[in-house]
Amino acid sequence: MISDFQEKYAKRHEIAKQWKNEGKKIFGYFCGYVPEELIDAAGIIPVRILGSLDKVTLVDTHLQSFICAFARSCLDQGLKGTYDYLDGIVASKTCDIMRNMPSIWSRNIDIPFTAYIGAPAKRTDAARECLIEEFKILRSNIEEFIGKKIDDESINKSIEIYNQSRILLRELYELRSDDNSSLSGSDFYQVVKAGFVMPKEEYNGMLSALKSDLTSAQSSNGEGVRLLVSGSTFEDVNVLKMIEEAGGNIVSDDLCVGSRYFWDRVEPGPDPIRALADRYQMRVTCPCKHPSDERLERILEEVKRNKVQGVISIVQKFCDTHLFEYPYMKGVLEKNDIPFLYLETEDRLGEEGQFKTRVQAFVEMLQ
Amino acid sequence: MSEKQPEKKKKRLKTAEKLGKLMADYYTESAMIKAQKKPVAWLTSVAPVEICYAMDVFPVYPENYATVCAARNLSAEFCAAAEAKGFSTDLCSYALNNFGSIYLNKGPFMGQGIPEPDMLIATEHACLSMAKWWEELARHFDVPLYVVDASLPVGDEIAPYQVKYFADQLKELAEFVEKHSGNKFDMDKFKEVLTYSDEASALFLEVADLRKTVPSPVSPIEMFTNMFPLVTLAGKKESVDFYREFLEEIKDLASKKVPAVPNEKYRLIWDLFPVWYNLKLFKYLEERGGVVVADVYATAFGGSIDISRPFEGLAERYVGNPLLSFGVQEQTELYKQIIKDFHVDGIIFHSNRSCRMASMGQYDVKQGIYEDLGIPGAVFESDFVDPRTYSDEQVKDTLDSFFEILESKKQ
Repeated sequence: MISDFQEKYAKRHEIAKQWKNEGKKIFGYFCGYVPEELIDAAGIIPVRILGSLDKVTLVDTHLQSFICAFARSCLDQGLKGTYDYLDGIVASKTCDIMRNMPSIWSRNIDIPFTAYIGAPAKRTDAARECLIEEFKILRSNIEEFIGKKIDDESINKSIEIYNQSRILLRELYELRSDDNSSLSGSDFYQVVKAGFVMPKEEYNGMLSALKSDLTSAQSSNGEGVRLLVSGSTFEDVNVLKMIEEAGGNIVSDDLCVGSRYFWDRVEPGPDPIRALADRYQMRVTCPCKHPSDERLERILEEVKRNKVQGVISIVQKFCDTHLFEYPYMKGVLEKNDIPFLYLETEDRLGEEGQFKTRVQAFVEMLQ
Repeated sequence: MSEKQPEKKKKRLKTAEKLGKLMADYYTESAMIKAQKKPVAWLTSVAPVEICYAMDVFPVYPENYATVCAARNLSAEFCAAAEAKGFSTDLCSYALNNFGSIYLNKGPFMGQGIPEPDMLIATEHACLSMAKWWEELARHFDVPLYVVDASLPVGDEIAPYQVKYFADQLKELAEFVEKHSGNKFDMDKFKEVLTYSDEASALFLEVADLRKTVPSPVSPIEMFTNMFPLVTLAGKKESVDFYREFLEEIKDLASKKVPAVPNEKYRLIWDLFPVWYNLKLFKYLEERGGVVVADVYATAFGGSIDISRPFEGLAERYVGNPLLSFGVQEQTELYKQIIKDFHVDGIIFHSNRSCRMASMGQYDVKQGIYEDLGIPGAVFESDFVDPRTYSDEQVKDTLDSFFEILESKKQ
């Protein structure tokens, strides 16, 4: 089952090229703050642009080495032509790097449509009103690009499909923390990732099948030390596998490419744009937003609810917003007597030895 | 916006002495402020200090302070102290310098740092790190924080709803300052402050424009150090008086064709921040005939204010500055225009490890300008405040090769 998800992700570019041959339009988007529903409602398939484990070869003449490996890898793939099938890219203001990405991308890579959402950082009513305007502009720009209106009904339909996805992922997330579940944290990560690059209707079918498969399964991975993994985006599933091999059981997460992406649903309302803005402005926070205390509050809640024994933070080197919050996070976890391990990556595991020793020591301490 | 240079030799400009006095007055007041029981606010740069001056709240700029610490060789020690508390060495060194000086309770002013804040005010549109930095300050000092958030386009003009979002928060900020300072907001006083801020900015930009004169009547060090009143004293009458004199002096030099730097041979654009602990780098350029005649760093702090709509006008001064909404294409076009207007021969890009926001895209801008106009650029990497990884040799190697290219172009 998991291998099906894995394969969807591994073959994502091939599959996308097939869609393209079938005459479909495809948009790439950066970050979990882009309202995919609006793209989907226009009949365009949204795929998330993520890092790759391939060596970067072309990006050095565009981005300095002090820009995060994630952004460097994304642009490098673009420069290599990996994303040649895209009809457009959409980015949202999360961090300063994402703010700069679309203009550099479109200068160097032939792309018919580029959009940038100047999303506010605060989580207030005024910020939401501002985001509504941003979403309206995105909607009309996409309409202009495809040459027809995106009606409210289509947006509502997309919202329903995306909500279904979020509900299923949330159910799987809960199942994962169950002692009798056979779904490991690294498996779950692969499941989430497949969703970034698949049409959600098809994906929902796969998620439902996985769910019934798991609920009838007898096997268990409930033996290990119960852990919550937190952090920014990272590409290498081996980071998680290494934690599991050391005896960790990842039962919960606060990841950009994990629960932060699907945690909150859209509350349907008479105005779908308002409903979307509500969700995207008020969703579980990334450290790019202000204030971000709620992220830590949620981590503490999750630790309690899922009987987590320790927290491992996996942060991208040069990720300013996560780095600024690290001492604070460490302090809060210490105050609550929650053991904490901090790992800094450059998108891939890199020198495995050093990490492994630290992870093993951490898990052993908790056994 | 650094301290005046430590050497005591006579300054070329009469206004340089005035600047020294303005800075000394500000920092003396800063040292006495707690005894006077005047409320203190810490502000990020590109934050609406006018609201503080209108309510008699003393503004302190940790960023300007970092440049002073760098000039006094204190920043390495301060950054290391912040790292010892768990802050990554990859974070902005303005922030690390600030944290470190707080932890060590040390500073360049009679051994003191800057006066502790009663309230914190941040903007996040120039870079998001500022909001994160100020959140940490709010936790450390346990004082109220107001973040003025913004929604800005990239490559487009700012839209009315985006100005409104910022302006509405400025009104909220005025209430915030009123509440935490105990001082009343007064519209007439506010308008007076805005008038001074607007005038100072206009005068400063007029000086910047005089750099079009060949040879340039003002040097880059004079421009960068004279930014202090523009940022820190925006809204004070003293800043207007200062810039009026500065403008007169430079105008006079321009009309007499007195060069700021002898043997001006290559006219250069400087992209972004100076290296604050090594302003001598400008001297190194000048010894080779290279004179910086334009930079968008200093001018990014300027901007006019429509006083008849005070809050909206102030919002436009801060977020309406097109520089803040530029993508690489617009940045390239702006430089192309500056190259024509200021008769520029080349561009030096300071790729600043501490400022990913502004340094990202420099290679593309350099490439674009070269493709369109054949004007060469050089990129050197360093950190604006933290000298620990600075390699003078490497930087000078880069600059030397750049001068070879400029030389070959002149022939």
